[in-house]
Amino acid sequence: MKRVVITGAGVISPLGTGVDSLMEGISSGKSAVRYMEEWAGYCGMNSHVAAPAELKDEKKIPRQNRRSMGRMSMFAAQAAEQALADSEINVSQIQPERMGCIIGSTTGSAISISKAFEIMLFQKDLSLMPSSLFFQCMSHSATMNVAQYLGLTGYVMATSAACASSLQAIGTGYEIIGSGRQDVLLCGGAEELHPSVTGSFDVVFATSVKYNQTPQKTPRPFDKDRDGLVCGEGSGIVVLEEYEHALRRNAKIYAEITGYNTCGSGSHISQSEDKSIVQCMRETLKSAQITHEEIDYINAHATGTIQGDKEEAVAIGRVFGSGTPVSCLKGHIGHTLGASGAIELIASLRMMEEGIIYPTFNLDEIAPDCEGVNHVLKPVKKEINTILKNCFAFGGINASLVCRKPGKPE
Amino acid sequence: MNEQEIMDITNRVFEESFEIEKERLKPEAHIFTDLGLDSLDVVDLVAALQKSFGVNIRSEEKIRNIRTLQDIYEFISSIKKEGQ
Repeated sequence: MKRVVITGAGVISPLGTGVDSLMEGISSGKSAVRYMEEWAGYCGMNSHVAAPAELKDEKKIPRQNRRSMGRMSMFAAQAAEQALADSEINVSQIQPERMGCIIGSTTGSAISISKAFEIMLFQKDLSLMPSSLFFQCMSHSATMNVAQYLGLTGYVMATSAACASSLQAIGTGYEIIGSGRQDVLLCGGAEELHPSVTGSFDVVFATSVKYNQTPQKTPRPFDKDRDGLVCGEGSGIVVLEEYEHALRRNAKIYAEITGYNTCGSGSHISQSEDKSIVQCMRETLKSAQITHEEIDYINAHATGTIQGDKEEAVAIGRVFGSGTPVSCLKGHIGHTLGASGAIELIASLRMMEEGIIYPTFNLDEIAPDCEGVNHVLKPVKKEINTILKNCFAFGGINASLVCRKPGKPE
Repeated sequence: MNEQEIMDITNRVFEESFEIEKERLKPEAHIFTDLGLDSLDVVDLVAALQKSFGVNIRSEEKIRNIRTLQDIYEFISSIKKEGQ
């Protein structure tokens, strides 16, 4: 198996454009969650909070590329462009069949899907359907748009596993490059806000509903007063590269991916459960050929739901005990769903680089059912050599990834 | 509707739907080679012209012969006249 490293990162997050904006928001204790006035007209919607990202400079994307992009694909294109620039890769200098992208999302653009249904169900006039609307709705919309925009002609794939989509994309990229089939893959995910997206969680009582008037107090991962998740949007993209390839061009290496696993719970479609999370993390450690003691930091999935946070805390406690520091970033940026794995991994890599672990925002009092792990409650300075990132999704899907700080070339 | 109005409305479609600067909208401009439209854009062009002029041209055979902006002006003019 070839070694796989991360040599570039790009982010559009609710805390701004770029990795620096994201980290500045996290380090200064900012929340991007706000009250969504525009959702007031939806009957039966109980959660009226979200963490929107700002879409700007989209007209810099040429019109003929942009016309097939919904909001999430534009986020993905901009994040991918950042990641590529950060990696200093010139696409034209890579063997064309050896560079591609794997970018996941829950669905295609929720806004565009809604628009298409309005035309089909209410106007019932197909002549009103813009030529590119379907391209915005497809499940692989983000990845194919990024590939077209950047001229990538190697593997182009989409992982669609809801909130685990982008971690699965990165894990899949790791396996493909590891197998020797590709040299460079842009991997990650994208997602966009829409009432139908928050609504899908709202109908199963998984959203935060008590903080509509105090939006920055939610979500509250692992906290005793947590009451559900808050949706966010944006995109996170990393450049994965075969190690020797990166060395040959003297690339800056952020981390090496050393372990990955994804699995199903086989038990429930919407409720995560500790047993399969334990399995996923253990298999990931096994694939990285390390013991749990070697993980210096766990970036948890922890969306702030009553059930999910408890299951993850129990699972982490079972595998890692109470020593390994654990925190999550959704208190700052909400749950960016299909983008969350990549965005939060990128932030974790920066923490590894800077030797500091940021605490879980809004975790004021650890819930009794989430005790037993080492929750980070204030910034901790620490040498971080190896991290584990978790993501879980509807459908009982789990994914975990291990990254380690780059060492000296062997 | 006079010729000038047809030109103005058509040009506005190109400015708004295809983000083409006013200065480039010359009657002799070829919609593919000069203005950069492609086959997908033509689908949206037809929809925008239908909406702007209140006509139904989707199944018009003559549409296939359109190459330049002038062709569009003349095509719309003929459709409008037929409808009178």
